[in-house]
Amino acid sequence: MGYSGARGGLEAILAAEDLVRRKRDYASAAWASTEQITARFRLAVDRVMGEAGLYDEPTAADAFRQAEGDTLEASHLLRAQRSTLPRLAVSEPVDPGEMTVLRRIVPAFREPDGPQLLGRTSDYTGRLLERPDGPPEPSPQVPDTANGADRTEDQRSPRRFLDLLRTMDLVADGRAADDPEPHDITRKPARPPADRSAVLAAMARSESGALVALWYRSILGPDGDVHEITLGELRHGRLPLRVRHPHTGNPVAVGEFRVTEAEAIEDLDGAEEDRTRFDVGYGLCFGHNERKAIAMANLDIANRRFGRNGPLEQLLLLTIDGLDSGGFLEHLKLPHYVTFRSMTERKQAMRAAAEAGEEPPARAAEPAGKECR
Amino acid sequence: MSREHRCALLAEADKAELIELADACIADGARVRVLVGPEVGCVTAQVREPVLEQRFLLGDVLACRAEVELAGHRGWAMRLGDDRAAALAAAVLDAEAQSGRPRTAEIDALCERIAARRERREDQEWAELAPTVVEFEELT
Repeated sequence: MGYSGARGGLEAILAAEDLVRRKRDYASAAWASTEQITARFRLAVDRVMGEAGLYDEPTAADAFRQAEGDTLEASHLLRAQRSTLPRLAVSEPVDPGEMTVLRRIVPAFREPDGPQLLGRTSDYTGRLLERPDGPPEPSPQVPDTANGADRTEDQRSPRRFLDLLRTMDLVADGRAADDPEPHDITRKPARPPADRSAVLAAMARSESGALVALWYRSILGPDGDVHEITLGELRHGRLPLRVRHPHTGNPVAVGEFRVTEAEAIEDLDGAEEDRTRFDVGYGLCFGHNERKAIAMANLDIANRRFGRNGPLEQLLLLTIDGLDSGGFLEHLKLPHYVTFRSMTERKQAMRAAAEAGEEPPARAAEPAGKECR
Repeated sequence: MSREHRCALLAEADKAELIELADACIADGARVRVLVGPEVGCVTAQVREPVLEQRFLLGDVLACRAEVELAGHRGWAMRLGDDRAAALAAAVLDAEAQSGRPRTAEIDALCERIAARRERREDQEWAELAPTVVEFEELT
């Protein structure tokens, strides 16, 4: 290897890699198949897909196994895999209103259109650790379809709470007549000031913990951007993916993918804002990842209100990508012998100069990149 | 059945049922040319969000596509995932159905089975979800 003036170590690196492989793949435990991982660790798989920006459960599961359960490392593997693949198409614009909901709650309103559907959740369950000795008893009885009524359209894709607020004329309408092309952050890095499409895309594939931390900072931190936030609606479900058929020119569905969607309602109270109405922030990410979607929705509205006047837009565009931040952190483990020797020699030179009664040299400017704006 | 509807159903088919029927389609010696080899890549999911109705790119979805010519008719298929053989077989079935060749009725029957299977799966899904519908009481 070579970094910062260091070279060599190939045999040790290969031995270390082999140690990982042997301990992982030949551990004295049953092999964790791809199906095992997608079935039993679905939230980790979903998180990896979202942070990598590539949706495919088996591929993400393989990355999770190879990364020994490290979700950020798995996202790195998955994004590296994606970089080898061609783009076959850009889908027709997906309408999230088409979602077949698997879970849908409206915390802001007791009786929205359509059901409040808890779905698969442990939100309301006490957190008591289970320590089973082995696999559970044979599967309990699954509800019988023969006794159930058909699912209505309202139950499948209920009208969103935002639309109900609109009928009550309670939402500030920021919809524009134009329809700009979305920014593709995978091809062109986004820098402030950026289109909202770039910020939404950056949040959609951000590291979940980084996004939640940034949201929490906006609540309790020094910026004071967000307050009086209400979660309007939260959904998890399936959306159809359509591309244009190359022979007929018509849209054709090629499959479905799961997403989590959130709408955050903001109480407008600024001097130049419409204080008779609310505004709404939007969050959408791959898979089932409610914390991420909720944080995204809150930060979307915060960024629209305050992003251009403070650091928020820059933070969203430049600091929440797990591969960026994690990669920079991980690189600190590489040999920095030359860098540190240079720093040491500067210290020693300054001490010698001071002992000789010389004036210290002028302070150097901050390193490049510290002042980003 | 429209071509798009058929393509959508074939995109949900199991690999084995696609390959079995595609093998039957070409068993009469019809000339097959692979125009676009089965290729794994990404479809970028473009979303129009409902608040400001602006588009943004959510991320990429793994997909595989193929295109063939069978007895002078072009067939195309795309499905999610990375199964090249399934995509190629689906493209053969698309071409067979487009040309009105002998296996067209079997392809339609397969599509009907896939649609029925999907309906059963969704019925089962709703049977499991419906008991979780909640009406919280409001404290006054």
